[in-house]
Order: sequence, then C-alpha cells, then structure tokens
Amino acid sequence: MKTPRPLGSVPLAPVPPVAGQTLDAQLHLLDRQVLDSGGVPVTTVDDLELGAPEGEPETPMGTVIPPGTPAPVLTALLTGPVLGTRIFGGRPPSSRLIRIPWTDVASVGVVVQLGVSGQGLDADWVERWVRDKIIARIPGGRRDPR
Amino acid sequence: MKRLLGVALGILTAIGGFVDIGDLVTNAVVGSRFGLSLIWVVVVGVVGICVFANMSGRVAAASGRATFEVIRERLGPRAGLANLSASFLINLMTVTAEIGGIALALQLASSVNYLLWIPLAAVAVWLVIWRVKFSIMENVTGLLGLTLIVFAVALFLLKPDWGNLASQAIPAVPAEETGATYWYFAIALFGAAMTPYEVFFFSSGAVEEGWKIKDLIQSRINVLVGFPLGGLLSVAIAGCAAVVLLPAGISVTSLSQVILPVAEGAGKLGLAVVLLGIVAATFGAALETTLSSGYTLAQFFGWSWGKFRAPAQAARFHLAMIICLLVGLGVLATGVDPVLVTEYSVVFSAVALPLTYLPILIVANDPQYMGQHVNGRGVNVVAMVYLVVILVASLAAIPLMIVTGAGA
Amino acid sequence: MILGDLLGTPVHDDDGVRLGRVADARFVVDGAPHRLMADARLLGLVVSPHSWSSFMGYERNSLTQPWPLPQLLRWRHRGSFFVMWEDIAVLGDRSVRLRRGYTAYSPALDGSGQE
Repeated sequence: MKTPRPLGSVPLAPVPPVAGQTLDAQLHLLDRQVLDSGGVPVTTVDDLELGAPEGEPETPMGTVIPPGTPAPVLTALLTGPVLGTRIFGGRPPSSRLIRIPWTDVASVGVVVQLGVSGQGLDADWVERWVRDKIIARIPGGRRDPR
Repeated sequence: MKRLLGVALGILTAIGGFVDIGDLVTNAVVGSRFGLSLIWVVVVGVVGICVFANMSGRVAAASGRATFEVIRERLGPRAGLANLSASFLINLMTVTAEIGGIALALQLASSVNYLLWIPLAAVAVWLVIWRVKFSIMENVTGLLGLTLIVFAVALFLLKPDWGNLASQAIPAVPAEETGATYWYFAIALFGAAMTPYEVFFFSSGAVEEGWKIKDLIQSRINVLVGFPLGGLLSVAIAGCAAVVLLPAGISVTSLSQVILPVAEGAGKLGLAVVLLGIVAATFGAALETTLSSGYTLAQFFGWSWGKFRAPAQAARFHLAMIICLLVGLGVLATGVDPVLVTEYSVVFSAVALPLTYLPILIVANDPQYMGQHVNGRGVNVVAMVYLVVILVASLAAIPLMIVTGAGA
Repeated sequence: MILGDLLGTPVHDDDGVRLGRVADARFVVDGAPHRLMADARLLGLVVSPHSWSSFMGYERNSLTQPWPLPQLLRWRHRGSFFVMWEDIAVLGDRSVRLRRGYTAYSPALDGSGQE
C-alpha cells in the first residue's frame, strides 16, 4: 500500500508542552551506563520494561485500548540475557529478566544514576560471584592500587 | 616548575609509548622493500591519530565516558557488538604479537629460545596490571621506550647519502614491487600508526587519571608534540632499513633483521640499547593492549573497570584480562611466528578503524555529552576527511591482502 | 511489556494503511512521585516511515555537525512524526494501530528534556 504523502512538506505542530523531563528511550536510556549510588558501574540499560501505573489495571495488549486508559509507565531497567535477545531476536522468559526497579533510579543524564548500592542488586550477581570465587582469592586482589 | 616537569614527562612518555611491535615491524619491512617511498603514510597516520586521540580524550574529560561506552550507546547493541567482536579480536592479536615481541627481543639479548621467555613475559605483564599504579606504569615504560631513539642515532652514524635518502621520500612504486603491494603496505603502515587500541587506551586512561577539562591543555601538548616525535622514530626505523637492508636485498621477516642496521651503525652498545628499547616498547604496548581488551569488554557490558580500583572492585574486568593473556600464551605456544601475527594485526586494525572513529566524532559534536566543548568546525572538516580515508583503507584492505598474498 | 518488542513494530492507521515503524518511545517524568524519581509515563511513540533504526536522533534535534552526517540521517528519517498515547488504539505484537483522526506531531525535542 502506498505510504501517505511525506509529512515533512507541511511543518507539524510541536508536541504540547509537558512539565517533567522528557526521555526518548533510544536516545536517553537504552545502552547507557548504569552507576550505583557510589558511582560504581553496575551494568548497561539493555532494555526497558513497561507496565500499568501502580493501582491501575494491566494495559490491554492486542485489543482496543479504552479511551482514557492511563499511559503505561517504566517499571524497570532490564539487563542480563535480554541483551542477547535484543541483538539476535527472540525473548527470554520473564523469570530470566534481571530487573532494576525504576524506583531505584535517582537521575537520568549521560549515565543512569541509581540511588542504591549495587551490592544488593540482582544485576550485580555475576560480578560478585567472579569477585568472591576468583579475583579476591588471588593474592593482592583486595589491595587498593592508589 | 612542577607543571613544566609534568608537561615534559607527558611528552617523553608519549614519544616512548608511540612505537609498538606493529610500528617496529611494519616500518622495517616497508623500509627494506620500499625505501622511504611510503613515508608519507606515516605522516598521514600520525596526523590522524593526533586528531582522534585528542578528540577521545576531550570526550572522556568532558563527559567522563570512555570510548567504548560511547560506541555502545551511539551504535546500539548490534553494531556495537559487531564492533566489539572485531576490536576485541584485533586487540587479542596485538596482545599476542606484543608478548611475542618481548620474548623475541629477550631471545636476541640472551640467546635463550623465545618460547621460554613467553610465559615469563606474560606473567610480568599480568603482575604489572595487577599491582602497579597506572601513572607509574605509564611513565616507566614510556621513558624506557625512549631508548628507541637509538634508531635515529644509528641512522646518523650510518652516514647515509642524505640527498639520495630525501629523494626516495617521494611517493612512487619501486621497480621491483607492484602497485598492489605498494598500497597493501600503505594500508598496513596506516593501520599501525592509527591502531584503534590507542584511542581505547587513551580515553580510558583519561578516566583512570580523572582528567578534567583543565587538564586538556596538557594532554593536547602531549599528543601534538609527543605523537609526531614518536612518528619520527617510526621514520628513523624505516630509514635505517632503507639505508642498510634495501641495498643488500634483505626484506625483513624477523626481529633480528629489524635491529641489524642499528648494530651496523651504532655497534654493540647500540645493540644493547635498542634491545632494551624494544623490550620496553613491546612491554608497554602489551600492557596497553591487555588493558584495552579489558576496557572494551567492560565498557560494552557496563562492568566495573579501571586500575584505580582494587582488582576485587573490578572483578570481571581483571578476569577478562587474565583470560586474554592466557589465550595469547596459547596462540604463541603453537609456535606461530609473532612477526607474522604482527603483520596481520596491523592490516586488520585498518579494517576495523571506521567503526571506532565514527562514534567518537559523533559524540564529540553532541552538546548533551560535551556541553560547550563540542568540536570546532576545523576539527570536524579534518576528521571527516580522515573518515573517508579510513573507510577507503578499510574497504581496500582485505581485497589487497588476497590479491598480493598478504604482501608477499 | 518489553520496550525492545515494541521498537520496530509496524504502525497502521485506522483504515489499515501502513504509516511506518515504531522508531522510539518518549516518556515524561511527571507520574506518581516516589522516593527518588517520579514515574516515567509513556507520552507517545515516534513513527518513522523509512527507517526505524533510530541511531542518532538527528531528526529530533537541531545539530548540524559533523557535516554531512546529521543532514544525511535526517533525510533517512524524513516524514517521521510523533503520536500521543491517547491516539494509540491497539498495541499488538505485530502491529500498532492508531485511532481515527489521530494527530501527527513533530518529533522534535524542545530542548527542555535532556540538554
């Protein structure tokens, strides 16, 4: 079917102004470095999870969304196996997603800054495992080089 | 005074750190086969690395982001992964070549077979990465690498016919070589001068040392003075080969041939100094490439990284580097010629160049990252011209490799 | 719902005419407040008729350097537009359908967000 006439020829109206910070997922969130409250890298934003705002019914998928349905919100930053499926296609089972809840995010700039320590996060388990099982056991592994 | 010393030290380490096994081998091979007729490529390569190293340093200082974080963020996961795979493999080849280079130089110094030196070299590299402070590591290897100036000294002591040498420096294909091999080695020289690991290392080093915008003047001086002088060392290596090996009909295939002109020009003392220089330069480059392997992986996946942290605070980063060194050891244990690995690594470097330099240029223009420190118009024009050159070199590299049988 | 699944999905209007693909999703941080940041609510989608690999977002800012990249990429994304959440009728696996009489806004960022 024919694509409608390119809209570029008529200048489009700007989006009505909004009060908060606007974030375009691809431009400002996806693939950005995530730092914990101490400035230590935790992971990257490999994907994002959306859901209905707290206390609202699930956003309908595949069926007509009733007018007036509140917009979904970002519920979590995703990491782990989801990076592989984002690159190669497919989707990991929901149980294999590693989530960093949006409520742990403190600010979004050139990096995504968390308001919590990375130590307690699921997203950091591989790092902790490598540290405890391998690196910390090599002599000098805990020595601060400065 | 302290500031002046800092600048001097920075320049000296930039010179000493510029030459690695790729530059040594490629320049000697080219000098022994093409005389100085490819020297213009070194000039083009040095200007290019100055432009892009400077830019990546500015991005790191302004935004705190190292090059591979920027690559992942701008290219996205797919193109980013393609870039990571290519860069990482080339890096691994270069690590292998550098460790082989250390071992070969030690063999020349000791007459003990290089295969026995390889594990020792790898362990030494790991120990430095594990324990030594970043700035000390940089300064010591850089200053020791300065002894490669002996190539320039030897060139003078050889008392060449300078007029004849200068007339060789005009771009022209020598009678006994074909146009294809000429351009193949042009790309190899270009790849050796602009190896991507240098920007990975340079920008990550800026983060390691916590550069701020005010430190940029010093880094700019280091790059703009140090790298061209390092490039002069490259030219001296090629010049020595052109004066001694080209007339003798020896085309370089081993490290002992690379240093032959120094022995002839500067005698036993020169030989001792050049061996020290080669060990220092390849050791320094082995450190830089091993660290770069860790940097690229950690920055792509968002792991904690950096020598400024205790190894336990950057566990996957350190584990990745240990694995890289082990892989390099494994490859060398097969008895593959490190000089051959070097020759291939510089050409593959040229292939991967566009994917590395394009994202740096884009981010250096993005006020979101750079604030008011975005690229000036002049820098952009030069960088765009270079991107075109890089792209052409990258596309031509593999076909030329096949046509010329890797320059044989 | 995972955002990665939504990106690249074909977008159709109410009559089934294909308009392009989802190139990006815009959020605005003005939802229910929490301890750190407020909820980021889906404001709408950026639809691109030619290429959905968002890449640099030059169609949404006014950068002109390094010439000629922004100009080329902006041309790749000519005809991109933004639709508000309220104008989305169906979010499906294979297709996003817009409501009849939807409004196409300019995808430009006004600069109040990140810069």
